[in-house]
Amino acid sequence: MTDAPRADPVFALGELVAETYEIRSLLGSGGMGEVYEARDRSLNRRVALKVVRPNIKRDYLLREGRALAAIHHPGVVTVHTMGEHRGVLFLVLERVQGLSLDRMIDERRGRGERFGIAEAMDLLVSIADTLSIVHRAGLAHRDVKPANVMLAPGGRVVLMDFGLVLPHADRAGHRTVAGSLDYMAPEALTGHLTEGEAHLLDIYGLGVLAYELLAGVLPFDSGDQTPDAHRAKSRSCPLLTAHRSDVPKPLSALIAQMMAAEPSERPQSAEAALWQLHAVRGRLGSEGPTRPFAVLVVDDDPDMRSALTLYVRAAAPDAEVETTGEGRHAIRSVRRRVPDLLLLDLDLPDINGIEVCMLLRGMHLGDSCLIVSVSARATRADVELLQQLGVRSLEKGPNLMTELVQIVQRMRPR
Amino acid sequence: MTEADDDLELLLAAARADFASRLDGKLCELQELSTRGDWAEARRAAHRLRGSAGTYGFPKIGAAAGEMEDILIDADLSPNDEAKSRFASAVAAARVEAEVAARGAA
Repeated sequence: MTDAPRADPVFALGELVAETYEIRSLLGSGGMGEVYEARDRSLNRRVALKVVRPNIKRDYLLREGRALAAIHHPGVVTVHTMGEHRGVLFLVLERVQGLSLDRMIDERRGRGERFGIAEAMDLLVSIADTLSIVHRAGLAHRDVKPANVMLAPGGRVVLMDFGLVLPHADRAGHRTVAGSLDYMAPEALTGHLTEGEAHLLDIYGLGVLAYELLAGVLPFDSGDQTPDAHRAKSRSCPLLTAHRSDVPKPLSALIAQMMAAEPSERPQSAEAALWQLHAVRGRLGSEGPTRPFAVLVVDDDPDMRSALTLYVRAAAPDAEVETTGEGRHAIRSVRRRVPDLLLLDLDLPDINGIEVCMLLRGMHLGDSCLIVSVSARATRADVELLQQLGVRSLEKGPNLMTELVQIVQRMRPR
Repeated sequence: MTEADDDLELLLAAARADFASRLDGKLCELQELSTRGDWAEARRAAHRLRGSAGTYGFPKIGAAAGEMEDILIDADLSPNDEAKSRFASAVAAARVEAEVAARGAA
C-alpha cells in the first residue's frame, strides 16, 4: 500500500468482527487500508484481515478478493472469505508468517552482505512463476516490489497485496496513477496503458526488484517522476554488471530488458521471463559444476515416452531424460531430484496427473520446475485447474512437437 | 538444414515408420480386449492410441481411437450391443487406416 498520513484504525484491538474474527494486532497500515492479525474463533486459526479505509473505493478490496479467489498457487496468498462489519468491507486471508523481501534486502544491506546469484535466481524464478499464473488468470498485479513479496518458511515465496490488481485487458481506471513510484513503469505514470498490456507493468516491476535484489540499490532514484524523465533514466540506467562483476551477462541483459522504457521491448509475458530465468539459471556453470538439463517424462504409453524424449532431445541434445509410466514413481523421482521440466500425462494407471500435480505443489516439491501436462483429452475444467496449479497444458497431436520444442528451447537455448 | 536437423528428420521418420508398423498389432489387441469383454483395459488402450497416433502423425487413427474411448466412457465401461457394434466399426475403420499407414511407411 502506498504511504500516506496515518488515520485512526478501522477496527479496534480485541474487537470481534462479524462475530467470528477477534482482532489481535495491526500488521500493517497504509494510505489505502490496514491489515490485522485476527483469530478465527470458529476454526481456531490465525488469519489476516484486510480492510480499506472509508475514503477508499471498496472496489480495490473486491477486486483483490476476486483475483485471489481465482488463483490457487503456493505463491499467492489464499483468500478464505469476504464479509462486512459495521459497514466496512473486509477480506479474510491466510496469515502468511515470514519476512518481507524489502526487510531482507535492508538487513543484508545493513550487514554489508549481498544476495548470492543462485539465491537471487531462486527468488526471481519463484516470483516470475507466480506472476505467470496471475497473468494466465487474466490479471495484472500492478504493484510488484520487494515489500509485496513475503518469504515464508519452507522456501515459499508469496506475492502479497493484490489491491491494485486489474484484468490486464481492462482499460478502466488507468487514468489513476497507482503503485509504488520506484517500481512503476514509465507508461504507468502517464496513466495511459495500451489495452491488454497491463501485465507488462509487472514485468517492469520484476526487473526493478531483480536489480535491487542483486545490486543492493535501486536502478535510479525516484526524484523526478515525470514520464519523460523516467524514460530517460530507464535508458541510462547502469547495467547490473557495473555494480557487481559476478552477475552473469545474460542475467544482467534480461533484467535490463525487463526494465526497458518501452513496453514492447520487455519480455512480453511473465512466462517468457520465467523461461529466460530458467535458461540463465541452467547456465550458472561458473558457480559450480554444470548441471545438465533434467527432464522427467511421465506417461504410461511407451510410444509417447519415446516421442516426448525425442522432442526434448531435438531442442536440448544434452538433456538428461528420465521416463516412467507411473505417477507414484514420478513423485518418488522428484523427491530424489527436482527436474527442470516435468512432462506429465494426465491419464495414468495409478494416480492421475492432476493428483500428481496437487501432491507436488502441496509438498512444494515441484515449485522450481516447469510442469507441463500432455494429454489427449483434458477437459476445460482440467485445464483451468491445472492453470491454477501453475501447470501449462499441451495436447497430444500433430502440434505437440513444435510446441514442446519451443518450450524447451526457451528454457534451454542451444 | 544443418546436419543435426537432418539427423532429427531421420530419427522422426524412423520413429514414425516403426509406430506405423505396430499399429495393426495395437488394433488387434483392442479387438481381443473387446472380445474378452475387458472394457476397462480396452478403454485404456484406446486412450493411449488416441494420444500416440495423433502425435505420430496419424490423425484419422487417433480420431477413431478417441471414438472408441468415448463410446466406452459413455457406456460406463458396460457397452450394450449397439455400443459394442459402434466400437467394432471404429476398430475396423482404424485397421483400414493402419494398413494404409503401414504401406506408406514401408
